[in-house]
Amino acid sequence: MRAYTPKDDVQKKPYYTDRYWVAPQVAKSDVSEDAVFAADFEAIKAKFDVLDAYIQVGQMVIVINAADNFGVIELMKNELAYNQLSELSAIDWLAQEGKFEIFYQMLSMSKRKRVRVKCKISEKESIQSVEKLFRSADWSEREMYDMFGVVVNNHPFMKRILMPDDWEGFPLRKTYPLQGDEFAQWYEVDKLFGKEAREIIGPEIRDSARVDRYDTERFARLGHEVPRGADISQGEPDTPLCYQENEGVFMIEKFDAEKSVVISDRDR
Amino acid sequence: MAQHQVNYLKDGGLPVALTTIDKVVNWGRSNSIWALTYGLACCGIEMMASGASRYDFDRFGTIFRASPRQAELMVVAGTLTKKHAEFIRRLYDQMTEPKWVISMGSCANTGGMFNTYATVQGVDRVIPVDLYLPGCAPRPETLQYAVLLLQQKIRRESASRAQKPKRLM
Amino acid sequence: MQQANRLRPFFENITFDRADNELILNFGPQHPSAHGQLRLMLHLQQEQITKAYPDIGYLHRGMEKMAENMIYNEFMPTTDRMDYIASSSNNYGFALAVEKLIGLEVPRRAKVIRMMLLETNRLMSHLFWLATTALDIGAMTVFLFAFREREYLMDLIEDYCGARLTHAAVRIGGVPLDLPDNFIADLRKFLDKLPENIKDYEDLLDTNRIWLMRMENVGVISKEMAQSWGCSGVMLRASGVEWDIRKEEPYELYDEVDFNVPVSDKGDNYARYKLYMAEMRESAKILYQVLDMYEGTGPELMAHAPQYISAPKIDIMTQNYSLMQHFVLVTQGMRPPVGEVYVATESPKGELGYYINSQGGAYPYRLKLRAPSFWHTGILSDLLPGHYIPDVVSIIGTTNIVFGEVDR
Repeated sequence: MRAYTPKDDVQKKPYYTDRYWVAPQVAKSDVSEDAVFAADFEAIKAKFDVLDAYIQVGQMVIVINAADNFGVIELMKNELAYNQLSELSAIDWLAQEGKFEIFYQMLSMSKRKRVRVKCKISEKESIQSVEKLFRSADWSEREMYDMFGVVVNNHPFMKRILMPDDWEGFPLRKTYPLQGDEFAQWYEVDKLFGKEAREIIGPEIRDSARVDRYDTERFARLGHEVPRGADISQGEPDTPLCYQENEGVFMIEKFDAEKSVVISDRDR
Repeated sequence: MAQHQVNYLKDGGLPVALTTIDKVVNWGRSNSIWALTYGLACCGIEMMASGASRYDFDRFGTIFRASPRQAELMVVAGTLTKKHAEFIRRLYDQMTEPKWVISMGSCANTGGMFNTYATVQGVDRVIPVDLYLPGCAPRPETLQYAVLLLQQKIRRESASRAQKPKRLM
Repeated sequence: MQQANRLRPFFENITFDRADNELILNFGPQHPSAHGQLRLMLHLQQEQITKAYPDIGYLHRGMEKMAENMIYNEFMPTTDRMDYIASSSNNYGFALAVEKLIGLEVPRRAKVIRMMLLETNRLMSHLFWLATTALDIGAMTVFLFAFREREYLMDLIEDYCGARLTHAAVRIGGVPLDLPDNFIADLRKFLDKLPENIKDYEDLLDTNRIWLMRMENVGVISKEMAQSWGCSGVMLRASGVEWDIRKEEPYELYDEVDFNVPVSDKGDNYARYKLYMAEMRESAKILYQVLDMYEGTGPELMAHAPQYISAPKIDIMTQNYSLMQHFVLVTQGMRPPVGEVYVATESPKGELGYYINSQGGAYPYRLKLRAPSFWHTGILSDLLPGHYIPDVVSIIGTTNIVFGEVDR
């Protein structure tokens, strides 16, 4: 019987984990420990629901409701001097709780502080665009849609950005295999030559550990070149490296290693 | 009485060289391989380096041209992604015969380290390739050696007869 | 085998024949001055651009997906291929993010070597930028000059790690190797000559009429626009924002070295060009100081943290426990604590950030690469309208985008 492999998360798993192993945690400290963060936190808390807030590795993390995302970012931009949205993306938690986590990485240049605003939405929900506040969100949100399928409302140009327009599937979801589904694996063949060429061209060789010493269809070793498709299981003749044919080339002087000069001292 | 034997095929004989058309045409072709500037990724930087000061590609007659119509060598320097695949085929078709392809670097050969959904696993799935260069990224010397090998290959081929259509895979 | 009707890219569905006198120009993805695989759809009114749609993704190789399927050390060489002009700064950003996640302190010698790598990479990147941008604008001489100097730097890097382009010269927890013999002397020799070389470039370009016409008052980015688009690095500093992560949030030894952050408030191509030149001088200044620091450091190169970092080679070869621990770390990978971290470093292009979400496993749960060039490409859609076609090339040139980084 084949071992069961979960279908909702097809990413690589460690093959062995000690059963007594407990993962340590990165230390979280309270928001009140940093005066600047504490003030910002109070300002946000006064207007919006804050589900959780802490400081981790020197940056404040604020968890809010997904519906408040535009309001919180607007408040942070206009009143709390967070003037750059340096990053925006999603994390796939569909297998665990059926949700996407969306994080906004904010930077305040005047305070020299970074804050991460996070919220969760379920798979079918969509989120409000912050493109009106930060133009950088334009492309980030498109990328998020492209990679996760998170639809963003009020976005001016909600199209795929990294993958081709006719791509199927959302690559960064945990259900999407690293090497692509069938559509991905045959994409270029289907598009250029048509489905009927699949048999001629053949499937992709995806096994990165595959080493065929005797394969002369695809590669020849340098200095041991043989005709394509030759059988070299009994060994192949040495082909000395040469820059020109032995009998010389028409109208070209033959390279003479004896007469050539090697410049060893490079003028640094 | 001294006997003079004039070797018509050597310099210093008569100012005439006798040869076959094949040889002349191939001599011209092999010493003026114009390559398409087709830097796709990291290898493209090494391709530029081999065209720049130290490695100086021009001395082999290899000049980079921006238009596929003027190029006869396509150096696929870098990762070919699925999104780009249609363009590489289009550029290859736009190049005039005879044309040759060098697949430079592991990504172009087999997909290399990028064994992912977005990468074409070897340009030979899309266009026929003449030479594969190993390395990630291959050094400029490797590319130069590849061009010299390609010159040898061109000299071996018959110039007068039509090129055999190249097979894909 | 190929069928003519099969090959029908998307832009063939766009109507090029229009009644309103507007021309649609397709630029790229194979264009010698697109610095990689940028494709622009430009709407033109005569020669003036009215709308620009950058199309990216032609080099999307799925690095973030790869990271989720790789142990942390395994991912290090992949980061090389992001900003392949300055590989070590990507390596370093990733190493720093993981070190912050597991709370490691790196030995001082490793820090000094990392500083050297970072700054030589910055020099390499800026020289490459100068070469390609000058070539795009037609100054072939500068291209050849700048590549000459870059080759010397590549020799130095090759002496250190054996590779020219993809270095993988930084490890999580330190650096793998000590400096080779003569490295310091060679680097000093190079740096002594660098000001002369930079002066050569400036003499060729600064008063060159063509260069000035293509650069001055072209591609002006206002302060608000730069901040709204999340610009960083030279793109931001040329618009009058004094923000350099090396200065504001110092990492490694940047708080111990003395250097200036050149700023300009013009925001045009010429300002960016001047800043790149000034930054090369500052890098040289930093390198001189770091070279002096090397002498007084101890021999350790990797941090001591048996849970995460393999022991030095000599221990692995002589001590059984070190060998076992090395075996576990290599086959199964280190398991950082549960938590998340965002670490930004100042790469030659701008703010290079790594967001890592670790769930205590050997593989990152989510790794987001914040590459500066992504937004520097995005800004083209707002920047290009109003400019003329020849300006497109010089603007793309000075944004200094690298497509390995844009598309990841």
